[in-house]
Amino acid sequence: MNVLAEGAAPYLKVDPDGFREHVRDHKSRALEPKLTSAQDAVARFVADGDYLVYDCNYLQRGPSVLIREVIRQQKRDLWLCGKFTYVDVGLLVGAGCATKVDCGFFYQGGAIDRALDEGRLEIYEYSNVVMTHRLKAGAMGLPFLPVRSFGGTDGFEHSGAKLVEDPYTGQATVIVPALNPDVALIHVHQADQYGNARVFGTGIAHVESALASRKVVLTAEEIIDTDEFRRDPGRTSIPYYAVDAVVHAPFGAYPGTCGGYYGSDTGHVIESFAAVARDGVANYVEKWIAPFANEREMIDKLVGEEKLAQLQANESIHEGYRA
Amino acid sequence: MTMLDVPGAKAASFNEREMQIVLVARMIEEGRTYWVAGGGSPMYTILLGKRLYAPNAQYITEDGVIAPEPMLPFEPIMTMVASRPAYQALAWGTMNTAGEHAQLGFMDYGLLNCLQIDKHGNLNSTAVRQADGKLRHFGGPGGADTIAAACWRTIVMTDQEQRKFVERVDFISSPGFLDGTPNARERAGLPRATGPWRVVTPWAMYDYDDERRLRLIAVAPFVTVDDVLAECECAPQIADHVDTLAVPTEHELEVLRGQLDVQGQTTGVRSGWVVLEGDKYVRQAG
Repeated sequence: MNVLAEGAAPYLKVDPDGFREHVRDHKSRALEPKLTSAQDAVARFVADGDYLVYDCNYLQRGPSVLIREVIRQQKRDLWLCGKFTYVDVGLLVGAGCATKVDCGFFYQGGAIDRALDEGRLEIYEYSNVVMTHRLKAGAMGLPFLPVRSFGGTDGFEHSGAKLVEDPYTGQATVIVPALNPDVALIHVHQADQYGNARVFGTGIAHVESALASRKVVLTAEEIIDTDEFRRDPGRTSIPYYAVDAVVHAPFGAYPGTCGGYYGSDTGHVIESFAAVARDGVANYVEKWIAPFANEREMIDKLVGEEKLAQLQANESIHEGYRA
Repeated sequence: MTMLDVPGAKAASFNEREMQIVLVARMIEEGRTYWVAGGGSPMYTILLGKRLYAPNAQYITEDGVIAPEPMLPFEPIMTMVASRPAYQALAWGTMNTAGEHAQLGFMDYGLLNCLQIDKHGNLNSTAVRQADGKLRHFGGPGGADTIAAACWRTIVMTDQEQRKFVERVDFISSPGFLDGTPNARERAGLPRATGPWRVVTPWAMYDYDDERRLRLIAVAPFVTVDDVLAECECAPQIADHVDTLAVPTEHELEVLRGQLDVQGQTTGVRSGWVVLEGDKYVRQAG
């Protein structure tokens, strides 16, 4: 293929055969129980230096419990898939966990500004859809995918994309490198103990992220019986063999919303924006994360059952969510 | 000539954000699809347009919501991957759903905002060049790159400010006509016959001339062409005849304020007021 132009940024190594071998050697095809705690899942499956993708974000059906656990365990040198996200990148960078970001969109504030000034953060440029197409290529077992966007932008110059002459049409076409993250953190509505999972409502790239990633940790609002999946297989979003760990995490997206289950905690949402905006992540961590061994303790101490019940009551829409 | 006029009593006072939303709402066409940037002015624009002028216009958002009947109001920030904005959609997908449907040609219009735009309609929401010549990162295109690349036509909503209308954006996050040469978009791999179509600020409306340059075609009755040009770092082309944009009607404001943006999350933000004094609309100081 004739390469007409290419971006100059580093990108996670593309290695579809290596990924297949990882699947062969490390992904169990047996129906094995995978239930564990957030603490154990992050300790075992998130390593320093990993490329980490989370689906949705801290405020919208994201794996917020796991993001907090990554910060609590002081993981280091993570490379983030920063698409469709507000405060997550700022929290992880501000807490010293992340040093590289592929940018689709994230909320930038003082925490990230300072990391850039101090040379602690590299940003590579993409867009939201380009990142989800990179994940899609990774989830298809392919080395790259063509996209009909991104060409001509300055983001292209600061990315791992290439402009090639498409061998079929002869037209200039942008291709983007497949993304196979080291680890995916995904919050789902329902899962069974083996990792079969249902996501209700819309999402960003939960299926692609689960299939494309070497290690996959799910948090689930509800753990349900495997027979429920067998009764309605069309509603399975993610099959068990993609998944390495399942954490039962009611209110796992807190302070974000989880469609059909609960609304967001607006006060906490604003507090998280303020932490990133004003470079106050250390204070945020000191208040919401560091003092507690786990989420249960944090919820008991700082949120309370009454508040959770209120957030649940605030979600008046259930159509389309629970099976 | 008055442009985009509609029947009904004209409002005696309104804010500039409302002016902008109302103008674009009147442009919404029956039977067309809009990919609407999540949140802010574009969302309330499509909702107002559907409510008053084009009930059979449909829209999608970046998280793959297709043709919703959203339940208002939204919680702050919760305009995507949340139940209210996604309510009673015809289909729920994901981000690749939106991207691919646009790639296929199903999206007639993209409706988005931006922080900086240049004379060829390129958009910047990523980085600004500082005095020392270095680029300062501040965000990212989000879905706007795909909206601007793959929808048939793009409508941009932004503010009339000098630093926003420039010769060449500091960083092209989302493509306009690129360097403005014929077929520049196709040469960069973008689908043919797509691109920028209109730019609407609270003060003015622009299209593009035959050489793909931004062109002023209408101004609000409370500003002059010179006022608009004073708020453009790079002067646009000017149409032979510059029309006057019709102000909001009482009914449009009633619906926008009372039924749609009831908490003033968008219409109450960063916007001056305009009032009728005698027979003239006048901007209030500040």
